[in-house]
Amino acid sequence: MSLAITGRPSLFDAVVGFLRKFDVFVIAALFLLLSLLISTDRTIEFMIFCIFVLAYDLLYGHMGRLSFGHMLYLGTGAYAFALTGELISGNPFLALLIAIAAGALLGLILGPIIVRTTGACFALINLAFNQLGFFLALVAFSPWTGGEDGMSAYFRKVWLIDFSKKTTVFCFALLSLLLVIYLLRRLTNSLFGLLLRGIKENETRVQFLGYNTFAVKMVAFIISTSLSAFAGALFILNYSYVTASFIDPLRSVEVIFASLIGGAGSVYGALVGGVGYKLISNYLPNYIQRWEMFLGVVLLLLVFKFRTGVWGYILARRQRLEAPAALESKPPEVSR
Amino acid sequence: MLLAVDCIDVFYGNARVLSEVSLSARQGEVVFIVGRNGAGKTTMLKTIAGFLHPGCGAVTFAGEDISGWPPDKVARLGIRYVFQDKRVFTKLTVKENIELAAYAAGVKLGEALDRVAQIYPKVSRFLESPAGGLSGGQRQLLLIGRAMVGSPRLLLVDEPTEGLAAGSIEEVLKALELMRGEVTLVIVEQNLSVVSRLADRIYCMKEGHIPAELSEPADIQNQSYLETYL
Repeated sequence: MSLAITGRPSLFDAVVGFLRKFDVFVIAALFLLLSLLISTDRTIEFMIFCIFVLAYDLLYGHMGRLSFGHMLYLGTGAYAFALTGELISGNPFLALLIAIAAGALLGLILGPIIVRTTGACFALINLAFNQLGFFLALVAFSPWTGGEDGMSAYFRKVWLIDFSKKTTVFCFALLSLLLVIYLLRRLTNSLFGLLLRGIKENETRVQFLGYNTFAVKMVAFIISTSLSAFAGALFILNYSYVTASFIDPLRSVEVIFASLIGGAGSVYGALVGGVGYKLISNYLPNYIQRWEMFLGVVLLLLVFKFRTGVWGYILARRQRLEAPAALESKPPEVSR
Repeated sequence: MLLAVDCIDVFYGNARVLSEVSLSARQGEVVFIVGRNGAGKTTMLKTIAGFLHPGCGAVTFAGEDISGWPPDKVARLGIRYVFQDKRVFTKLTVKENIELAAYAAGVKLGEALDRVAQIYPKVSRFLESPAGGLSGGQRQLLLIGRAMVGSPRLLLVDEPTEGLAAGSIEEVLKALELMRGEVTLVIVEQNLSVVSRLADRIYCMKEGHIPAELSEPADIQNQSYLETYL
């Protein structure tokens, strides 16, 4: 677009163009750099959290459905992964597949109830199911889940892949993140993504075009729950234990904050938000005892000043800079 | 008869909005529904389109009873609805708006773009622009063009000239005239000059009833009579 203004690409365009072409390598390089700057352990946690944010953003950013209970799907994956290791097989790949399947199955069961709702109802019904899941993991199923104490999850070496080594987990988490980014980008750039954006704007209009929006929403919901479960399983692969905190509905606020900070509806926004939130929550407590207060201030700033998040703000700034030229090329009135 | 609405009652909660209303449209016919605000015109279109379901009576399309069908199923049958207020997907580009219609109708994007260009010749200039940036007239042409993708059999158009300047109204009228004979049109309209110019038949609505049906050319041109329903 800047070509029309200046005749040559702006620096922003050049950067964005480069990012788009080679972003997989750029993202990988940035996380490698981060692992050198902070620690491998924390970088793994950041990357897995980014997968969770991306899964969440498919519903929130692309389809416009805010969930207050997404920890349920993360926790389901976490427990499914750990329980598979405990009861079925020590093969981590099989456990990962079962965790993803558990997330998908839960989405398939709860979806028909949840996706029919919108707005506050969608947010709260997710919260209600999350609360139920939390109770089940903490109390009702405590003989299997370990209740408050949680349970360990160790997996055997498969071929040469040994997940007890942090380097292996780092590589696997990074590859997983890149794969999720690739899949979600393919998905959101397709007709399916267009439909999600259409539903976000006005579901009725999409229906009148002849689309079964319930089916579209179900597919999006199941993909989101499956990827959240995948993130949950990866967390356990990294920590080697699972507790009820992985399904605690109070922690749903983390992924919401991350989405808001980064900016909903974009891969880069999810990554910026995921890393940004984790940096705040990991390092700010070292300096401020009540660091959550800072998050509150950040939320106020986001609500009043940066509604589209950091990435959205950057894009909006760019558009504003282009506004004079855009006005010149604005579609003229048909006849007035 | 392509469309037959037979003695339907439609309710919003406990309030009866349409009462024993009947209406029909033949293949290729241009049928207008005129009436005051609140007469039940839009409710009638929404009922045909499947957004509202009749409490009693039946809506039949090409011999099939479609009463109670969901909107997406009705749309797949070849019934398209052009909303009041020029409701395009404002955050999608013009091209994406057409793309959604193309996939739904099972036609290629190029074919869909050509179809829209027949109605809205300047569309190629704005394909990558957000549809929200188009003027009212442009939006209406886009909506009508989009609705025509995939050769629908029945087009329901709600107040197509509402809020448009005279020049834009002329553009929209030309687009509607272009479709005459190709598709059956059921149009809700309050602009009587538009009605007189295009109508093959007029249903006058008042307080949820249809007290008059006009099909004689002299009656259709009798604007002073029609004005009594506005």
